Amino acid sequence: MTDTPAPAVGAIRWRRLLDRVLVVAVILALWQLASWHVGIYWVSSPWGVTARFAEMTASGELIRHAGYTLAEAAAGTLIAGVPAVLLPLILRRHPVLVAILDPFMIGGYGAPKLAFAPLFIVWFGIGMESKIALVVSVVFFIVYFATLNGVRALDPKLVQTAQILGASERRIARHIVLPAAVPSIFAGFRIAVPYGIAAAVIAELISANRGLGFLVQTGATNFDTTGVFAAIAMATLLVQAAIWLMNALERALLRWRPPVDAWMETGP
Amino acid sequence: MTDATLPIDDAAEPAASRKWLVYGGRVALALALLAGWEYGARALGPLFFAPPLATAERVWTLAVSGQMFADIAATLRVAVAGFAIAGVAGVLLPFLLRRSPRATEAVEPTVMFTMGIPKYALAPWLILWFGIGDMPKLVVVALVVFYIVFITTFAGIRGVDRRLISMARVLGARERTISREIIWTSLLPFFFTGLKIAFPRAVSATIVGEFLVSTQGVGRYIEGARQVSDTTGVFAGVLIALALVLIINALVNAIEAWALRWRPVEREMEL
Amino acid sequence: MTALLEIRKLGKRFPARHGREPSPWVIQDLSFSVAEGELLTIVGPSGAGKSTLLNIIAQTDTASAGEIIVDGVPVTTRDPRALKPGIDRRIGYVTQDDNLLPWRSTLDNVLFALEVQDRLDDTGRARAQALIEAVGLAGFERYYPHELSGGMRKRTALIRTLVYDPPVILMDEPFAAVDAQTRTQLQADLLRLWEMGRKTIVFVTHDITEAIALGDRALVLSKQPSRIAAEHIIPIPRPRNVKDIFALPGFAATYEKIRADVQ
Repeated sequence: MTDTPAPAVGAIRWRRLLDRVLVVAVILALWQLASWHVGIYWVSSPWGVTARFAEMTASGELIRHAGYTLAEAAAGTLIAGVPAVLLPLILRRHPVLVAILDPFMIGGYGAPKLAFAPLFIVWFGIGMESKIALVVSVVFFIVYFATLNGVRALDPKLVQTAQILGASERRIARHIVLPAAVPSIFAGFRIAVPYGIAAAVIAELISANRGLGFLVQTGATNFDTTGVFAAIAMATLLVQAAIWLMNALERALLRWRPPVDAWMETGP
Repeated sequence: MTDATLPIDDAAEPAASRKWLVYGGRVALALALLAGWEYGARALGPLFFAPPLATAERVWTLAVSGQMFADIAATLRVAVAGFAIAGVAGVLLPFLLRRSPRATEAVEPTVMFTMGIPKYALAPWLILWFGIGDMPKLVVVALVVFYIVFITTFAGIRGVDRRLISMARVLGARERTISREIIWTSLLPFFFTGLKIAFPRAVSATIVGEFLVSTQGVGRYIEGARQVSDTTGVFAGVLIALALVLIINALVNAIEAWALRWRPVEREMEL
Repeated sequence: MTALLEIRKLGKRFPARHGREPSPWVIQDLSFSVAEGELLTIVGPSGAGKSTLLNIIAQTDTASAGEIIVDGVPVTTRDPRALKPGIDRRIGYVTQDDNLLPWRSTLDNVLFALEVQDRLDDTGRARAQALIEAVGLAGFERYYPHELSGGMRKRTALIRTLVYDPPVILMDEPFAAVDAQTRTQLQADLLRLWEMGRKTIVFVTHDITEAIALGDRALVLSKQPSRIAAEHIIPIPRPRNVKDIFALPGFAATYEKIRADVQ
């Protein structure tokens, strides 16, 4: 691997693209083979899923249900995100309060929120509210700790510099603490948002009358594997779109950072 | 000329009074939450909010009758199996991929894309295949654990200092030796963090899987109680699930602390 | 000229850890004064508590003993919570690390000083722009700190303090972390800017040459517990050519004297 002379950069890029397409093609081919071998009932087929996906999108049905799921995730992220970011910022100068809250927050973070799904359904019914509640519980703790880490990692000399320049506490919070914490806050949202979407889908799987999880459940009940896969495909697309959006936002907001290698991060 | 205006300052560190304040605050908060729970039960009725006492009674009954342990055993059985299978695969694959950067690059986007698939959504389809039993849960748990361990190990391998590897190559080390000595050792912090996260996740993944399909297990109990509007049962089950995961979390942390006690690992990696 | 800044019998030791002896005095019985419009340099070996001294004057740290008098008014405090960093913007502080806000461009970093003081108007902007040009950063206004060289960041930090015109400016080895050539250029820039406004500057350094090149007077700091070991008036007339400082009359003799004192 280290002895052969390296080909030109452009050629490498083409080869890499080809490799990647090849991998996908092989997987699809295997899937199609399996479909012929065991039947559409068991594994559906690449073409079948694509056709159904297009059909359901055209009819608007898939979009509608995706919209519900997305709305649940978005509402939950907003409701959880705002306090989760504000709390560490406000409590920065009250370390005693942060210390008091710590074990509860850690417990909340470590507790399996998804396991609370039935409880939320008891409280809020099978409508959107229970899904939003689940998303809130999932997103809140992730973003809280991310923000807390960002605030803690703040270089105290920057705060001191601002103080010497005569900045008030509020100015310091707005102009020093918040921008310094943004990278961490962002990392938190980048993990939390896809997780939130998945949480919404899972809650819908358990009990719902709309949304992508509901589509999956009805598809399974009707032994409609193709429908199930179409709904799963849409859910995956939503998650990927969210990740892509987060990355784009980060590139825009964090232009001031020296280039950093961000490797793959764990997801749901 | 001695200075008479301000005394000399010998201030010691802020005292232990702050520690008491923190402990006191935590106890107060816990009591407040408990009180809130009791109040909620009275205000909203037992259908919404099982009272703390009733919940405790139910947990006791379940423990005494042995059902709690049977359920926990059923859940753990699947969690451990899924964790073991996926853990091994998740660790081995990055090492294999390391041999071929070309294969790694080819596979990377597909792996990242499939990571976005909500794995629980596969459960209903898996039921078609395997029926209601352990298998659908096992597959889902294995998938969840696999991605966590794979990504963590992968990141760990990539984080290994290339210069160390080059140096080892210059010295004539075989690839196997390089894998073992340098990569494995540098990898250890990531490895432990990955496993530490993955096992409790495996348990909670099993419980959630049981919501969707099962005849046994803690999750099955919770969902079963919900479907017959047995709110006390739901509360009791959730409490048990909570305790289970938190205890496992604590155990894993303890094991890690013990293992790292005599290993020269510098820092804990946080994810 | 009146003494704008007076340090009387300053002492500093760090608080005792729980249950241990109080730590030894870092600074003890340190006294000096600074006249208005003077550029005072302080030389001392590493570990002589130079940064600590400046921190106390800038009120980012408390004094354990002694007093600091600014413009005739004592400002010392023993209570960490009563500290007023910068003493209402009367003391500017250019630290060793440039401490630029990484998420702001060069221009925005300089304007930050005016922003927090609610003085961001056209006059302020014009002043900022003038300073940017004066130190040769014209054209780099939109660059982020990570895109600038070390010397450029130092310059930005410098004019960030100059832009709001504090009466006293403390400088803590600001040019230590750059190469010799850049350092000489920065020294020349500083002197040029100083001559335009004749601010009161207290400049701390471990480099004897720098102390002579810049200062009207040079104080020598002893090792811990630090006090003023010696005072030297720099006989070299202004304006000085920093780049040829070694050749100027009086340099060699002053250098020898100070070096002897620093031992």
